[in-house]
Amino acid sequence: MPIYQYIFRRILFAIPLLLGITVVAFLIANAVPADPINANLPQNALNNEKLVTAFREKWGLDKPPHIQYLTYLRNLLRGDMGVSIKTKNPVLEDIRQFLPATFELATYSILIGLAMGISFGVISAVWRNSWADYLVRVFALIGVSFPVFLLALVALSIFHAKLGWTAGPGRLSFLVKDPPHVTGLFTIDSLLAGQWKTFRDALSHLILPSFVLGSFVSGIIARITRSSLLEVLSSDFIRTARAKGQIEPKVILRHGLSNALIPVVTILGVLYGNLLAGAVLTESIFAWPGIGRYAFRASTSQDFPAIMGISMLIALIYVIANFIVDILYFLIDPRIRYS
Amino acid sequence: MLKRFLVKASFLVSLFALLLASAHAQDEKVIVIGHAEVAEAYDPAHAYSPTGGMINRATYDTLVTFPDTDASSIEPRLASSWSISEDGLVYTFNLRTDISFANGDSIAAEDVVFSFNRLKNVKAQPSFLTDPIVSVEAVDDATVQITIAEARPSFLSELTNSAFSVLNAEVVMANGGTDAADAAETDAAMDYLDQTSAGTGPYMLESWSPQEETVLVRNPNYWGTAPYFDRVIVVNIPEAATQKVALESGDIDLATDLSPDQVVQLEGNDNIGIFRGPASATHFILMNRDPEIGGPMANPLVAKAVRYALDYQGYRDLWAGSVTPGTNMWIGLQGAYGQDKAISRDLDMAKSLLAEAGYADGFETTLSYPDFTFNGVNLSTNAQKIQADLAEIGITVNLNPGEVQVSLEEYRNGQQGFAYWFWGPDKLDPVDFLEFLPGGKVASERTKWTPDMASQEILDLIAQAKIESDAATRTEIFNQLQDYAQEEGAFAPFSVPAVQTAFRADIQGYVWHPQWSLDVALLSRAE
Repeated sequence: MPIYQYIFRRILFAIPLLLGITVVAFLIANAVPADPINANLPQNALNNEKLVTAFREKWGLDKPPHIQYLTYLRNLLRGDMGVSIKTKNPVLEDIRQFLPATFELATYSILIGLAMGISFGVISAVWRNSWADYLVRVFALIGVSFPVFLLALVALSIFHAKLGWTAGPGRLSFLVKDPPHVTGLFTIDSLLAGQWKTFRDALSHLILPSFVLGSFVSGIIARITRSSLLEVLSSDFIRTARAKGQIEPKVILRHGLSNALIPVVTILGVLYGNLLAGAVLTESIFAWPGIGRYAFRASTSQDFPAIMGISMLIALIYVIANFIVDILYFLIDPRIRYS
Repeated sequence: MLKRFLVKASFLVSLFALLLASAHAQDEKVIVIGHAEVAEAYDPAHAYSPTGGMINRATYDTLVTFPDTDASSIEPRLASSWSISEDGLVYTFNLRTDISFANGDSIAAEDVVFSFNRLKNVKAQPSFLTDPIVSVEAVDDATVQITIAEARPSFLSELTNSAFSVLNAEVVMANGGTDAADAAETDAAMDYLDQTSAGTGPYMLESWSPQEETVLVRNPNYWGTAPYFDRVIVVNIPEAATQKVALESGDIDLATDLSPDQVVQLEGNDNIGIFRGPASATHFILMNRDPEIGGPMANPLVAKAVRYALDYQGYRDLWAGSVTPGTNMWIGLQGAYGQDKAISRDLDMAKSLLAEAGYADGFETTLSYPDFTFNGVNLSTNAQKIQADLAEIGITVNLNPGEVQVSLEEYRNGQQGFAYWFWGPDKLDPVDFLEFLPGGKVASERTKWTPDMASQEILDLIAQAKIESDAATRTEIFNQLQDYAQEEGAFAPFSVPAVQTAFRADIQGYVWHPQWSLDVALLSRAE
């Protein structure tokens, strides 16, 4: 099957999936035994019948759940995700505001995680059972098991507060103005605007949180790369390559690694999705105004429209990430053809 | 060629602009405040949150206000004076005539009418504050008359809430605002007022990126003393631990949300200044008046003995910055008895009171309390001290720490005989104290200290306290009620712990306020 046909089919499959997500998100949000009135009106206002009624009417809470759901769906089809009860802004606008920060952080984190993880994995596979291997494995274990928020705090106190090597919390220093909005990614927008200072500042703020999140990612990737590469290196075609007299680095990187990367790519989609959706703690510690904290606030205040919007967004992120992974398979392994 | 020239020229121009901007930035006096933002709006008719209160304190004014540090009196602000009708139903405010909005427009009574009606009709979070109001009318340009449904002595205190900020009606209307009855559907000014302010305060809201930062700039037309800082940047740092790191490294000048133990860790750091002032929670012991529940504690003489047995100085030593309250009336309220009028320890007196009650040899009892730490104060530590204090007059106390929700349920249902709790005022007004007198929620429902146990004279005083609006008469009434509580009360208030805030050592003028928490206009930097 040609690739475009495959892409088209994948997109078609994503539609019922997203619909299903709206049903599940709606059911879960409604199953919580708490009234959004309590979460959103002050205690003293609860006695005021008029205010409570006005609140219910305004947010459609006076209607039965299935009507609420159908209304939501109808609006969604028109591209309207509703208005957040908490921020009182359209959910789409909120997402547009908070997603770029998370997207930028997640992208840098995954790149750092990949670079570190693959290098470590290769080192540890090639020099199997050497001290380097043990060092990498200990590092990988720490990366995976050390609580991210603790790592974040420790990193912030050492590298920012004590040593002053990197910038502190936030996306930019507090006196630096945001670059003109184009993509919402500060490192890109600042370059587009030719603001070198802002670019350096943004980068300096990205380093710590990206390394913190990246160390978690690299721990997982290093372990997978190691085991996968070990397996590949013991296969016949590697022996053949060596027998043909190819130099060792070429054997390992060209023949070994490129074949060992398939499982890494597989996990990459999930990891990237995780970073985009679940960096709440890291975002809190680094005062990063991202989508994770938005989701957290939405769920604690039972902000239905925002909860639904975020659930769909996260589902969409996973769908896209896995989609990209599938496309990457095509490129990495010529044996893979979808039918 | 021309293109090249244009590129060069525009580069030079932007470089020049950049230089100008940075030179300008250096002259500016800027403070950066690290704060865990809790705000859904800044529009005063929609904002009902700690951050909203703090920001609107800087950008708007109310008719009347509290002093800088507490709620001990009602001070003029936009109104230079006011009068209250004999029946307590009509409040007439005389506006200052020398005040203009930040954009230069002068303020008029119509602005007050518009602002209050809009607050009521948008039916948003703080709209319930207008419930007592029947009508708001402009008598003339400088006089506003507010009629309320029934006498409400706390009304002036309630008007200090930033929800009652006075907005520039013309500007708000030009940006989609309305005070009409259907404002809940038709008012469209919130987006505008969340990004910029239309008030008379010392600062103007320059921008707000929710969950990121709020920027205030000095109001050039401010009618009062100009604030020190040209620009105030409030950055959202949700984690207290991060605020601490940012404060230590000098990223921020002030951290609003440090926990008390984090503040203690900063002690001795020469770069850091620390503020401690009484918080709004009063810690107290309750002694149930129902003999079935309270046992010996139900006896008013025993309750009084407990008040004389507590080692007040000891609690002050235990919690840095804490003070001893005179009664359960929060120490910052108008006419509240402070540490100077508090009961001091007198063990002989306590023992003789016990003997008089028939417990010369003491007795055994159980102290219930929620087992947790509130604002840095560990309730178990205080409970152990209460146990030790009362042992000295022969009362053997067994401690009964409970899970918070479970203990709270018992407390609210009046099932606890001898218990330790704390209370923060629901309303920053003396009437809040009535909760601790016969007929009030804490006294009658939770402590079974019911009106039939009080003399007619006291009941009359309580009834009068609920309707008397004259400040001097109110103070007189509440003095008598506080004396009564010290003599006959079913409570033993013993500690008001401290609010603790840390900032860079060169920051001056920080005070905490129970209403708006921080007034940024009071801050300055040592030069």
